[in-house]
Amino acid sequence: MIQLKHISKHYPVGFGKNAVLDDIDLTIHAGEFVSIMGPSGSGKSTLLHILGLLEEPSGGEYLFEGEPVHKMSEKKRTQLHRGSIGFVFQAYHLIDELTVYENIETPLLYKNVPSSERKSRVADVLDRFNIVAKKDLFPNQLSGGQQQLVGIARAIVAEPRVIFADEPTGNLHSDQARVIMQLFKHLNETDKITIVQVTHSEQNAAFGHRVIEIRDGKIR
Amino acid sequence: MFRNYLKIAWRNIVKHRFYSAINIFGLTVGMTCCFLIFMFVRFELSYDTFHRKADQIYRVSTDVKTPTELIRAAITSAPMGPAMKADFPEVLNMVRVNAASWLIQQGDNKYQEDKVLLADSSFFDVFSFRLLKGNAASALRAPFSIVLTERAAHKYFGDADPMGKSLLIEGEYSATVTGIMKDVPANSQLDFDMLASMSTLTKALQPGIDEQWGNFGMGTYVVLPPGADPMQLERKLPAFMESHIGDMMKRGSMYYTLRLEKLTDVYLHSTREAPVKGNLSNIYIFAVVAAFILFIAIFNFVNLATAKATERAKEVGVRKSIGAFTSQLTLQFLCETILLSLLAFVLSLVCCQLLLPAFNALVGKEIRTYVFDRAGDLYYFFGTAVAVGLLAGAYPALILAAYKPALVLKGAFGRSDKGLSLRKCLVAIQFVTAIILIAGVTIVYRQLAYMHQQPLGFKKEQMLVMDFTGVRNLQTSWPDMKQRIARLPGVERASFSSSVPGEGQSSAYTLIENKAGDMQPSNINLYSVDYDFIQQYQVKVIAGRAFSPAFASDSTAALLVNEAVVSSLGYAQPQDIIGKRYSQWGREGRIVGVVRNFNYRSLRAEVEPLTLRLEPRDFDVLSLNVSTAGIPATLSALEQAFTQLAPERRFSYYFLDEAFDRQYRTDYRFGRLILLAAILAIIIASLGLLGLISYIVTQRTKEIGIRKVLGASVINLLLLLSRDFLKLVMIAMLIATPVAWYVMHRWLQDFAYRIHIEWWMFLLAGLGAVVVAMVTVGLQSVKAALVNPVKSLRTE
Repeated sequence: MIQLKHISKHYPVGFGKNAVLDDIDLTIHAGEFVSIMGPSGSGKSTLLHILGLLEEPSGGEYLFEGEPVHKMSEKKRTQLHRGSIGFVFQAYHLIDELTVYENIETPLLYKNVPSSERKSRVADVLDRFNIVAKKDLFPNQLSGGQQQLVGIARAIVAEPRVIFADEPTGNLHSDQARVIMQLFKHLNETDKITIVQVTHSEQNAAFGHRVIEIRDGKIR
Repeated sequence: MFRNYLKIAWRNIVKHRFYSAINIFGLTVGMTCCFLIFMFVRFELSYDTFHRKADQIYRVSTDVKTPTELIRAAITSAPMGPAMKADFPEVLNMVRVNAASWLIQQGDNKYQEDKVLLADSSFFDVFSFRLLKGNAASALRAPFSIVLTERAAHKYFGDADPMGKSLLIEGEYSATVTGIMKDVPANSQLDFDMLASMSTLTKALQPGIDEQWGNFGMGTYVVLPPGADPMQLERKLPAFMESHIGDMMKRGSMYYTLRLEKLTDVYLHSTREAPVKGNLSNIYIFAVVAAFILFIAIFNFVNLATAKATERAKEVGVRKSIGAFTSQLTLQFLCETILLSLLAFVLSLVCCQLLLPAFNALVGKEIRTYVFDRAGDLYYFFGTAVAVGLLAGAYPALILAAYKPALVLKGAFGRSDKGLSLRKCLVAIQFVTAIILIAGVTIVYRQLAYMHQQPLGFKKEQMLVMDFTGVRNLQTSWPDMKQRIARLPGVERASFSSSVPGEGQSSAYTLIENKAGDMQPSNINLYSVDYDFIQQYQVKVIAGRAFSPAFASDSTAALLVNEAVVSSLGYAQPQDIIGKRYSQWGREGRIVGVVRNFNYRSLRAEVEPLTLRLEPRDFDVLSLNVSTAGIPATLSALEQAFTQLAPERRFSYYFLDEAFDRQYRTDYRFGRLILLAAILAIIIASLGLLGLISYIVTQRTKEIGIRKVLGASVINLLLLLSRDFLKLVMIAMLIATPVAWYVMHRWLQDFAYRIHIEWWMFLLAGLGAVVVAMVTVGLQSVKAALVNPVKSLRTE
C-alpha cells in the first residue's frame, strides 16, 4: 500500500541544511498496524506528515497504492485526503466553532456526500463511539479523551483505507489512552483499516503488529 | 456546504464580538457615507434629465465681444430665439424664458413672488413639466395668463379650484389662472413657483422688446431633431447674426456670437453664470472622499483579519487534512467577509434613511425623500456591499488558505508575521487620508474665516436693506420717502441705490476716454446711487469728489468710477481720469471722482470695474444704518412707515452682512461636509487602530509579563508598543503633506482673495493624527503594562 524509496527531508538552516530524514526505505502493507517510535526530534512526525501527503519529501520516491505521489496534482492529493486517508492528531485539532456533530460531518461535506446519507453515517459513528449525547456540544465542553474520540470519529467517517495518527494519546492519561488504543486495534481488525501511529509509549506500540524505530533521521 | 460556511461565519462573528463590532461599525459608517454621497452625486448628475427631449434641447447663450473684453453671457435678447426658429428649419421649436419678481395679490393674500418665470406658449412642448389642469398648447398664449404650481395654487387658493380665477400683479394688472402644474422637480435648472405668458411682457409690459436685439435678459432654449449635430447649427449662427444686426454690431463695436449648450450639460459643465449651478470639482472631491472613507473601513477589515489569521490557522490545517481544496477555503473565508459586509449593508441602508433629512439640510436641497426613491440604486448599493466584502476578504482569505497544514498542525508558529508590511502600509494609508482631510478642513475653514473677516472696503455691519422694488412714484418722491424713514428712531442714515454689495448689479455699454484720448467702449458694471450712498457705505474717495447736491449737473452728467476702471483704461494715477469724458446709457458727461476698490461681489473674484451714477429711476433698495439697540422696535416702525408709503407692496428687509455672507453658502456647506468626512475618517481609522493594538497586546501579554519581571517600567512598555505606530504616523505625515498641499492649493485657486498655505497647517494635521494614535494605542498599552505579571504569565 505504501512504499518509500530513499526518502530524505531537510530544511535550510542558515547557509547549510538540517537533515531530518535521511534515505528512508519503508513498505507498509494494507491492513497493517504500524507504530513509529523514536526520541524527540528524530523525525518521526515529519515521516508521518510525508506519509500523509501533508509535506513533500526533499528527495526519493513515494508510491501510495502503487501511484507515485510526487507526480500527483494538488487536486489528486486532496482527493486522497477526502477518500483514502484519515488523520488523528495529538492535540485533537477539532474545529472550535463547530459542534461534535458538525465536526464529524465536515469531511463528508467536502466529499459531497448527499444530505441523507451524511446524516445516517454521522449517526452511525456517533452511535458506535457512544457519543450521541454529546453531539450538540462544542469541543471545549468535552474532556480530552472525549475530544480524541470525536477526532477519531471524524477520521473514519469518510471510510478511509489508512489512518495516520500522530501521538494520538500524547495528551491523555493512561486509562483514556488504553480505550483509544483498543479502538484503533478494533478498527484495524474488524474494519481492515491500515493504521500508522507515531508514539512514545512501548505499551501503545504493543497494540500494533510492527514497530519502526527511527533515530537521527534513519530507520534502525 | 454553504450552510456550514454560514454557520462558521456567524459563530466567528459572535465569538469575536469586539472585532466584529469594529468591522461592522466601520463598514456601516463607510457604506452610509458612500451611499449618501452616491445619492448626492447622482442627484447632481440628474439635472434636467427628466425632460423627454432632454437630448434635443440646447440653451442658446451669447458671447459678447467688446474691444476690451469677452463677456460670456448665459442669456440672449428677445428677438434672437424667434429669428432662429424662423431662419433655420432644423430648429424644431423654441422657448424663451425670463425671470421676474412680482408682487402677487389674491384677496387679502399678498406675496412678493421671487420665482416667477415668463415663458413662451411653446414651454410645455419643449419641456416636460407636468401640466395637471389647463391646455398645454394655449395656457401661456394670451397676455396675463398664469400657470401655478400646486404649491403656489395652494398658497393663494387653498383647496379651491384656481382655474379661471384672477390674480392681481404688481397691484395693477389682472391675470387669469390658465393652468395648474406639478411642482418643479428639485433637479431642474429652471426653478420657479409660477409661469406667466411671455406675451405679458412682449405685448403689454414692454412692447417693442421683440425688436431690441441689444437688450439682453432672456433665456432661450431650442429643440433640434433627434441626433442632430449642434455644431452644424452653431457654425451658421455668425452669418445669421450678421444678416440681422451686422450694422448695429459694427456701429457699437459690440459683437454677439451665439453658442449652443446642451441642456443637460448646463448645470455642471457650463462656465457661464447662472442662478442654479453645480460645482463639478466639488462633486469629484466628494466622490473621492466617499471612496476614501469606504477604503479606510475596508483597510480596517483587512488589517484585523490578517492579524487574526493565526487564530484560524489550525482550522485551515484541519480542513486541508480532511480534504478541503484551497479554493474551497478561500470561498469559505470570503463568505464570512461578505456576510459581515451584508450585515453592514442592511445597517447602512437604515442609517441612510434616518440621516437623509439631515443630509438634505446639509447639502441644502432635497436630493430625495426615501433611499428607495430610485429602486435601481439598490442594485448599485448591494453590488457595492458585495464588492466591499470581496475586497476586504480577498487578501486575508488568500493568506489563510495558503497555510501549509503540516506547519500549522505541528504548532510550528506563534505570531504571524505574514502580511505585516501590508498591514503597516494600510495603517499608513489610513493616516495619510486622515491627515489630508484634517489639513483640508483646516485650510477650508481658514479661508472661510478669512473671507468673513477680510476688510471689503465698505461698511456692512448694522446695515439693514429694505426692498423698494416696484414702489410707485419712487422715481419722483424718493427724497421725501427717504426723509420719512431716516427720521424714525433707531435709524441713523439712509440711502437709495439700485443694488447693494453681494446682490449683483446691472451693467451698461459705456464709452470712456482713455489715455490716448479715444472713447474706449466696454461693458461696465453699474450702481445707481443717491447722494449719500458713498458716505453711508464708507467707501473711500481717492481722487476727485463724491456726488453732491451742490453741483446741479451731478444728477445728469457726473460719473464715479472705481480704481479698476482707472487701470483698465491705462491711467497711472486716479487723478488722471478726473474730468475725462464718458457716454453711458443715454447720458454724457465727465468723470468727477474715483473710489477705492470695494468688494461689491464675493471674494472669489477680483474687484471688477464699476461705475456709479445718480439715477433715481433705477432705485430698488434703501440701505439704513440702524443702531443695535431696540432693533425689533425699529423694525416695526419701519414696517408701519413702509406700509403707509407703499400700501400695495409687502415690507421686506435683510441685514447686509448676512446677505453678503450668503454668497459663501456653498463654501460653508462644502466646509461642513469635509469636516464631517474628516471626523468620520478619523473615527474609523482610530477604531481600526484600537482593534489592531488590542490584538497585538493580547498576543504579547506573555512578553510584556516577562519584560516587567525583568524590570521594564510602564513607560518602557508604552514606548515598546507604540513606537511602531508613531513611526507610521510620521511617514504618513511626510506623504500626506505634499498631497494635501497640492489639492488645497488647487482648491484655493478658485478664490481671488485667498490665504497662504502655511507649514503649521500640516504640522497641526500631523499632530492631530499623532494625538489620536497615541490616545488609541496608549490606553491599550498602559492597560497591558499595568497588568500584574504573575497573572499574565500564569495564563500560559
